[in-house]
Amino acid sequence: MTHNRESGSRFSGATKYVLDSELAAIVNVSMALEMPLLLKGEPGTGKTMLAYAIAENLDMPLITLNVKSSMKLVEALYQYDTLTRLNDSRFADSSRDVSNIDDYIKMGKIGQAFTADKRCVLLIDEIDKADTDFQDDMLDVLDQMQFDIMETDQTVKAVNRPVIIITSNAKKDLSDPFLGRCNFHHIAFPDPKMMRKIIEIHFPGIDKTLAENAIKSFYTMRELEGVEKKPATRELINWFRALNADPDFRSKDLVKGELPFLGVLFKKSPDYERARNIGSRRRLF
Amino acid sequence: MFIHFFYKLKEVGVPVSPTAFLTLQKALDKGLVTCLDDFYTTARAILVKSERYFDLYDQVFAFCFEGIQLPDNDGLEVDAMAQAMLDEWLKNPKTLANALGVDESTLADLTPDELIDYFKERLNDQKSRHEGGNKWIGTGGTSPVGHSGHHPGGMRVGGESRNKSAVKVANERRYKDYSGRGPLTQAMMGEAMKRLRNLVPSGPRDQVNVDETIYRTMKNAGEIELVFDRSMRDRLKVILAIDNGGWSMDPYISMVQTLFDYARAQFKEVKTVFFHNTIYDHVWEDPQRYKKPMKIDDFIKRDPDTRFIVVGDASMAPYELMSHDGSIHIRERSGKPSIERLGYISETFDHSVWLNPVPESMWGYTHSIMAISKIFPMFELSLDGLEQAVTRLMER
Repeated sequence: MTHNRESGSRFSGATKYVLDSELAAIVNVSMALEMPLLLKGEPGTGKTMLAYAIAENLDMPLITLNVKSSMKLVEALYQYDTLTRLNDSRFADSSRDVSNIDDYIKMGKIGQAFTADKRCVLLIDEIDKADTDFQDDMLDVLDQMQFDIMETDQTVKAVNRPVIIITSNAKKDLSDPFLGRCNFHHIAFPDPKMMRKIIEIHFPGIDKTLAENAIKSFYTMRELEGVEKKPATRELINWFRALNADPDFRSKDLVKGELPFLGVLFKKSPDYERARNIGSRRRLF
Repeated sequence: MFIHFFYKLKEVGVPVSPTAFLTLQKALDKGLVTCLDDFYTTARAILVKSERYFDLYDQVFAFCFEGIQLPDNDGLEVDAMAQAMLDEWLKNPKTLANALGVDESTLADLTPDELIDYFKERLNDQKSRHEGGNKWIGTGGTSPVGHSGHHPGGMRVGGESRNKSAVKVANERRYKDYSGRGPLTQAMMGEAMKRLRNLVPSGPRDQVNVDETIYRTMKNAGEIELVFDRSMRDRLKVILAIDNGGWSMDPYISMVQTLFDYARAQFKEVKTVFFHNTIYDHVWEDPQRYKKPMKIDDFIKRDPDTRFIVVGDASMAPYELMSHDGSIHIRERSGKPSIERLGYISETFDHSVWLNPVPESMWGYTHSIMAISKIFPMFELSLDGLEQAVTRLMER
């Protein structure tokens, strides 16, 4: 029975997101088990985009918590606005009731996700940016799907358990207890076949030879030795935009080894230099 | 169900927990898994929490559900190399035969399986004759085969998984490249050193101190008085002492360079000084160790809260460390043995560490490393080591 009910809300990809079936299965399992899904992978492999895609596909509101390095967990849960209360108590010209603390409690992103009257997607983006304390504090909240508001001694419990997607760029692992409460997937960098699909979705009706040539040069550039920040899907899409915008550009040039707009692909100056050298060297032959 | 599979995972070293196993049972209960493909992805998402173990998982999966032989632990590398050699053989039989020093025709008669066995034998043979045998092939320069090495990001992806059975996918070992330890990049160093900071109030007073504001307001009988504080900024002082002399540090230059670049970008107050092998009366502010000497005795004038980080291989002749006038540079004559000088520094700065690019497993073989590690807490210059060092530096 449960299976049938949930099959009504299975995630099956979105308009601008090419989903590989393995990832789809993992998302669906995590949703059914109501467990957070931790995504890792190279920058630009679509970790964040996945949450957008789920929200779009299942028609759920998306709440994004962008983790910052100095963030405390409480900020993500709720905020007690002391200053407004102080101000109101002095001037008493607002509609709020000064003796009612609840009026001064604002829900943070996690709080909003818990109190939403509809199941929503909660994206906790780049959790590795915060201290390990942040992750440890979050354990209980995610496990019980509830938290306490200290000032009023109330417990906020998730009405509908949100679909939680957590992304991390870190090469190192998160703490073990934290991992224990999540499902895990590592998004690998898409292979050329997959990349062609992604490009077709983003640029419908794009010239086939142009796509083919550009993707080919893109993968050769990824293979360059000693490049620190490899260009990823995001860079490739931007590159296509740049190529499309340039009226003088012919797709034949790519075959000849010309690589325009390298700055779109390589963001670090040593990488840029290296890629440009390779490009110009090839042109000599 | 699948208890055997679970224990096999544990046995080969994938950190799996009973809770995760129960979750998997829950998923099975709910009917989320209908075929082996589903089981492969579901079990991996639930049981395995790091891409580093994906490769091991694949192997165990193939072993449990298809009976593919599980390579014994040290066989893993040999396996991969034998495979690489086979590939090379298919491409160019002659070069490989020459590299191995055998006649091409003898190999040509063998079937692929026999070939693999033969290569493995050769590799194992090498192992017994050579310390760290994998090196022998590959460093020779002429040899076409070598250790597969790091391919950062260059992983081959096995295409769309649904077109193949899970076992086949598992057997492809798509995640092999993630299982090894990657090279230390600047981003990874940043990761490890992120926690190395010391927040002190500075800058303009632009943050409301809520507690103090409430207190002052009450004192004023309700007339609001806002109290502002300075915000917290990072003001950590770091001295980075780098051993840049001699050939013994040469292999580690790029690693140290990365650390140096990172430190420059990260810390506002970082002082980089240089020395050769060990520290006597002076360190130098210029890399040539000539123009700008800096007296060790003057360190006492600096903030004792400064974090003192030494990077060096700490490998030298014992007399350089122990005897008076031990320096190998004739002009550098001091009355005190270096070991006393190091002791003085570590007493001056409470928070000091020594980062050693030499792998920890080799430390026991060098006397000077052992001696110095008694003075400075010594850590390996690797991700794990850096992390431990940072923890040590931030201790109160």
